[in-house]
Amino acid sequence: MEGQEDPQPTGQGSPATRKAVDLARLIKEDCSRLLELYKERETFPENKTSEGGPHLVSVAAISSPDVLTTVERVWHHRCALRRCLELLERQIVWEEEEMGEGGGEYEEVRQAVKVRLGHLLHSTRVLLEAEDVDQGSDHLSPDHDCTQGTEEVDSSNTMNMKIWTHHLLQDLIHWTDSAMKTLHIFHMERTGQQEQQEL
Amino acid sequence: MPVGSFYWKPQRVDSLGPTLHSACSSYASSSGNSDRGTELLVESIMILSNIISGRNRGKSQLLLFNLHPYEPPSMFSTLLCILCLILTVRPSLSQDDSPLGVPQQISLEKDSEAQRLSVTWKCNLVSVFDIEIYRTELMEIVFNETVELSGEKNAGDCHWNWTSAVPLECTSLSVRIRSRDLLRVSDWSPLQTTEGDDLPDNTGAKVYPLDKVVLVGSSTTFCCILGEGQVLEDIRYMRSIMREVRLSRRTYAVTQTLQPPSNTSGTNVFCRATDASMKTTVEGAVIFVGYPPADEELMCETQDLVSAICQWKEGRYTHLKGKLRRTRYTLNGRTCEVVKNVRRCTWEQWEGNWTLLAKNPLGKKEIKDSAPLSHRVHPVAPKNLSILVKNSRNATLQWSWQYLGYKAFPLICQVNVASNGVSVTRNYSGAGLSLVVLEDLWPYETYRVRVRCGAENNFWMWGDWSLESSFQTKMDRPGTPDMWIWMESDNSGQILWKPLSKRESNGDLIGYEVTQGSVSGDGAQRLDVPVSQLSVPLGLQNASEPVVMLLAHNSEWTSHTSQLMVPKYWADVDVTGSEISSRDGGFDMSWPASANASRGYVVEWFNTSCGQYCSVDWRKVPGTNTSARIESSGLQAGIRYTISVYTLSDEAPELLERRHGYLEEMVPAEPVPFLEASQYESSVLLTWQEIPLHSQRGFVRGYNVYLANVAKNTLLAKISDPSVRNCTIRKLGLGTYKFTVRAYTSAGEDGGSTVSIMLEPYTDLLVFEILISLAAMSVFFILVTALCYRKRQWVKKAFYPEIPEPKLPGQWRTSQATVDVKPSPHSMVHIVENPQWDSSKEGLVPVSEEDEDGDESGSEPTDTDSDEPGLLRYYNQVVGDSGQVLRLPIDSSSSSVGSADTDVTYTGIQTSPGPLDTPPQMEAMAAGGYRPQGQVVQQQQQVDRSDADAGAPSSASFGGYKPQCTWRPDSPDGNAIDGSVGSPTSVNSSQFLIPDVSSEDSRNPASSTTWIPSFLSSKP
Repeated sequence: MEGQEDPQPTGQGSPATRKAVDLARLIKEDCSRLLELYKERETFPENKTSEGGPHLVSVAAISSPDVLTTVERVWHHRCALRRCLELLERQIVWEEEEMGEGGGEYEEVRQAVKVRLGHLLHSTRVLLEAEDVDQGSDHLSPDHDCTQGTEEVDSSNTMNMKIWTHHLLQDLIHWTDSAMKTLHIFHMERTGQQEQQEL
Repeated sequence: MPVGSFYWKPQRVDSLGPTLHSACSSYASSSGNSDRGTELLVESIMILSNIISGRNRGKSQLLLFNLHPYEPPSMFSTLLCILCLILTVRPSLSQDDSPLGVPQQISLEKDSEAQRLSVTWKCNLVSVFDIEIYRTELMEIVFNETVELSGEKNAGDCHWNWTSAVPLECTSLSVRIRSRDLLRVSDWSPLQTTEGDDLPDNTGAKVYPLDKVVLVGSSTTFCCILGEGQVLEDIRYMRSIMREVRLSRRTYAVTQTLQPPSNTSGTNVFCRATDASMKTTVEGAVIFVGYPPADEELMCETQDLVSAICQWKEGRYTHLKGKLRRTRYTLNGRTCEVVKNVRRCTWEQWEGNWTLLAKNPLGKKEIKDSAPLSHRVHPVAPKNLSILVKNSRNATLQWSWQYLGYKAFPLICQVNVASNGVSVTRNYSGAGLSLVVLEDLWPYETYRVRVRCGAENNFWMWGDWSLESSFQTKMDRPGTPDMWIWMESDNSGQILWKPLSKRESNGDLIGYEVTQGSVSGDGAQRLDVPVSQLSVPLGLQNASEPVVMLLAHNSEWTSHTSQLMVPKYWADVDVTGSEISSRDGGFDMSWPASANASRGYVVEWFNTSCGQYCSVDWRKVPGTNTSARIESSGLQAGIRYTISVYTLSDEAPELLERRHGYLEEMVPAEPVPFLEASQYESSVLLTWQEIPLHSQRGFVRGYNVYLANVAKNTLLAKISDPSVRNCTIRKLGLGTYKFTVRAYTSAGEDGGSTVSIMLEPYTDLLVFEILISLAAMSVFFILVTALCYRKRQWVKKAFYPEIPEPKLPGQWRTSQATVDVKPSPHSMVHIVENPQWDSSKEGLVPVSEEDEDGDESGSEPTDTDSDEPGLLRYYNQVVGDSGQVLRLPIDSSSSSVGSADTDVTYTGIQTSPGPLDTPPQMEAMAAGGYRPQGQVVQQQQQVDRSDADAGAPSSASFGGYKPQCTWRPDSPDGNAIDGSVGSPTSVNSSQFLIPDVSSEDSRNPASSTTWIPSFLSSKP
C-alpha cells in the first residue's frame, strides 16, 4: 500500500468516515514532519535499510488482507494505531524524564500527533461500533488487542531509546498511511451503500 | 623552613623513630649555633650507627639530607651524607642472597562506569612492582610502568587501580606483574585477563561508553564492537566522521577531544557497519557533555515572620538534564525539588544559617546564607484595601494583614496614588500599619491606590503591591475664571474667558454667569452662558466706568467673581507698534514697568488680519514681572500677530505697549497687485499696490524690479523702502519689455508680478519734426519763388527766350503733297541736330529705327506724356543706351523728311545754357533750325489729313505752333494713341516748343504747371 498516492479529500458521503479519512491524512503529515524534526535533532545518519526493517507494531492478520473485509481491516488498523499511541505516550514520558520538557517545534508536533491520534481512535471506535450494530456482530471489539511482536526496550540505554523512538515514528507513518487508505476504502463503500439505499 | 630538603618517602620518618627525626631537625634548625650543632651531629651519628648495626632493620629506607639554605655544607654535613648513603644501599646489599617473590593470586576487577581496573595480588615486603597491561587479542601493550605501592597493603595484599582511556568493555585486557627491589626483579606473574564484550560469544554490535557524563572540553574515547561478520563503515561523532583505531578483531575506537556542550538529548556517536549481505546496521551511544553546578546567590527571607523561603540562581547552565544527570539540591541537608526551573525551597522555621548543596554527575557546589529573621522580612501584599472617609481633598485608606505577626511589626508602607496618568507614591510608617490618610487630593477626581510595605527597621526589600482600589473625591468650589475684554471699537467688544479645566472646575461645570454694568451698580445686565460658550459680545451704552463680572457654576458650588473694568479701545493705527522677533517658537515680550500695574499685566495677542471673528488670546502676568513668553500651539507661521500689554489695576486696563511680529516670516503668499507700466518718452514708470496684509506673511522689506528675459531676470532696481511702490526705468529703446516686481521679506521674494509694455516712437516729436520739415520747405519755396519773381526777367530769358516767327517760303507749302507719311504710331525719331551742339547736347541724337524697335522689344513703356522722369528716361535711354550717336548732316532733315516712317521731334532744343552762354553763331543756327519743323508740320498735316481720312480727329487747324496748342496732357483721348501718345511731339513739344508769342497770353492755367517740370528737367 505504501508508495501509492494518497486518496483525494473526501467530498461527500458519511461525515464520520470522511472526517476519519481526513484526520488520518493529517496525522500522517504530522508524523512525517515529526520524523524529520527528530532526525534533525538527533543527527541520525542515513540508513535506508533500517527504515524498511521490522515494525515495532505489527498485526498478524494484516499480512493476509485478502481474507479480511474492509471493516476487519479498519479494526486491525485501529488496533495498530492504538498500540502506536501507547508507545508514543511512553516515549513522551521517557523523554521528559531524561531530557526535560522542551518547548520547541518537535515537542509541539509530537503533542499534536498524540492528541489527533486519540481523536482518530475515537472516530474509528464510533465507526466500528456503528458497524457492529449494523452488521449484528460483536466479534470486533474495539478494545481487543490484536497487535503482536512489540519489543520491549531498555530505557536505561539512551541510544537504544533513541533508535526505538526512530522506529516508532516510522511505524506511526506506516500505520497512519495504511489506516488512511483503508478508511478511504471504507468511506467509499459506505457512500456506495448509502446511494444504493437512497435509490 | 629549610630550603633544599630532599625527601624520599618522607612518611617513613615516622617509622624511623622520633629520635632520629628530632635529632636531624634539631641539627638543621640550630646550624647557626656551632656548639649545639656539634652536639646534635654526634647524636645523629650515634643513631645511624645503631641503624647500621641492625637495631632498626627494616626501617632504614630513608635518605635524608638536611642542608641549611644559607650555609655551605660543612665537614660534618658531608660526613653525615656519606653515612646516610651507606645506610641507604646497605639493605640491598644485605639481601642479595634472597630472591624476590613473584606476585601471586592476581585478581582483576573492573568498574565499567569509571573505566577503572582494580588489580589485587599477594605481596610481602616488596613495594615496587613492574606492571604490564595488554590488549589480549592483539597483545598490544597499553601500560608498562614501575609502580611503588605505599600504604595500599592490607594483610599482605597489594592493590593497584588503573583507569583506562578506553572503556573496559571494548576489548579484553591482560595484566602481569613482577616485583622489583632496586636492582633486582622477580619473574613475571602469569597473565590475568578481564574479558571485553568483543568475545566471540557476544555476537552483537555495541558502542561504548554508554550514557557517560563528561566535562565540557574533555576528551572521550569511544569504541565500536562490530557484530560477527560485519565490516565497519564509519564512526561518527554527531555528524563528523572520526578516524578509528583498531583495538581487536571486532573493536574500533575513536577519540573526540575538546567536546562541546551537548543539547538536552545528549551527543550521539554512531557506528555503522555492514554485514555479508551488505545490510547496514547502526549502533550508537550517547554522551552527555556539560558543566558541574554553578548555582549562586542563595537568599533566604520570611514573609509570615516565622518560616523561611530560600531562593537562588542557577548560574552557568550545566547542559545536563534528566533524572540521572540533572542537578540535585539539598538545603541544610534536606532535599529541595526544583520544579520548572523555580529554584526555591521553604523551611518551616527560621534557622539563621542556610547551606545549599548543588550536585550533578560532574561535581557539586555549596553556597551559604546567614541572617536573623528581622533582617529578612519581605512583607506580603496588604489585602482588602478600602476607603473609610473621602472628602473633596482627602481620604482615609485602610487595609488588613494576612498574618497576625504584622500587627505589632514596625512597617513602612508606600501608597501609590494614580489619577489621569499621574502617579504619586507617598510613604507612611508605623507598627502594624493598616490605615493612612491621603491628603492633597483633587476634588471630584478618581484615584487608584495600591499599597506595599517593608520592615521599617532593618529594611530588606519592599513587599508585593496590593491589588488596586479606586475611589472618587467630592466636588469643591470652581476656580475663578480668567476673563479678558477685547475691544473692537469704542463701543463694542468681546468678553472672553478661558475654559476651566477639569481640575479647575472641581466638579461638573454647568455654566457661567456674566454681568455687565457699571461701578456704581446701575444698569446691570445678567446673562447665563452655557459651558460650551466662552465669550459674549460687549455693548457699551454710555455707561460710565463700565465693568464686567463673571461667575462659574458646577453642580454644587459657585466660583469667586472675576471682575474687570472695560478697557479703552486702541485702534491699531493709533499705536505705532514696533516689530518683535520670535524665538524658539514663541515671542519674548518685555515692557517697561508701570506704576499703574497694581494687579499685574495682561499680555494680549491676536491675528492682526483676523477681521471680525478674531481669536484673541491673553495671559495675565504678575506685577513683579515685566516680561512674558508667548508660546501657544495656536501660533502659526506667516501670520502677523498684534501683541499688546495692558496694565491691570482697580481702574480700567490701560495699553502699555503694542508690537507686531511673526512667529516665522515667510515669502508673501501673492505677488504685488495692480502692477502697471506707463511709457514716458523713453522711460517706463512701474506702479503697484501694497500686498494685502494677510498675504504678506512677513514684514515686507522692499521690492525688487526685474527685467524679465527668456533666460533670466535682470535686476533693475532694488527698493528697500516698502512704502515706495513705483519705479521708473529710464533710457529704454523701442521694443517690448517685461518687468517683474517682487516683494521680499526676510524669508525671500514672492512669485512676482509681471507686466509687459511695448515702447513706441515718441509721436509728438515725430509730428514736430514733420512740421519743422514742412515749414523749412515752405520757406525755401517761398524764397525761391520770391527770388524767381524778382528775377523773372532773367528767368524768362533763361527759360523762355523769345522765339522768332518762322518765315516760310511760299513754294514750301506746295511740295508738301508729295510727303509720304507712314501712318505709324511708332515713328522713328530723327533728331535734327545742330552739329555745333553736338558737344554740349549729347542727348539730342537721332534714333535709328532699329533702336526704336529695340526699345519696343523691351519693357520700357511707351507712354511718355504722363511723367517727366519717364520722359527723361526715354530720351536718355535712347541716347545713352544706344551707344551710337548718329552724326547726321545738317540737312539730314530733308532726308528724314523723305523717310516714309519718320516723325521729327524737336526735343532737346534747349535754351538752358541761356543767352549769356550761347555763342552768337549758335543763335544763328537756332534761328534757322525751324525749317525741319515746318517740314514736319507739313508732313504732320499730311498725316493728319490721312488720319482724318481714316476717321481720326482733325488737328490741322493749328498753324505753325499748333502742335504746341493741341497737346492734351491730362486727357489724352483714345485716338491720340496713334497720333499723340508716344509721339515725341505730343509731349516734348509742350515743354520745349515755345508757343507763339501772340498766343502766350492766352495759354491756359495748365501752362503754369508745366514750367516747373521743365525747370526741373533742364540741365545747366
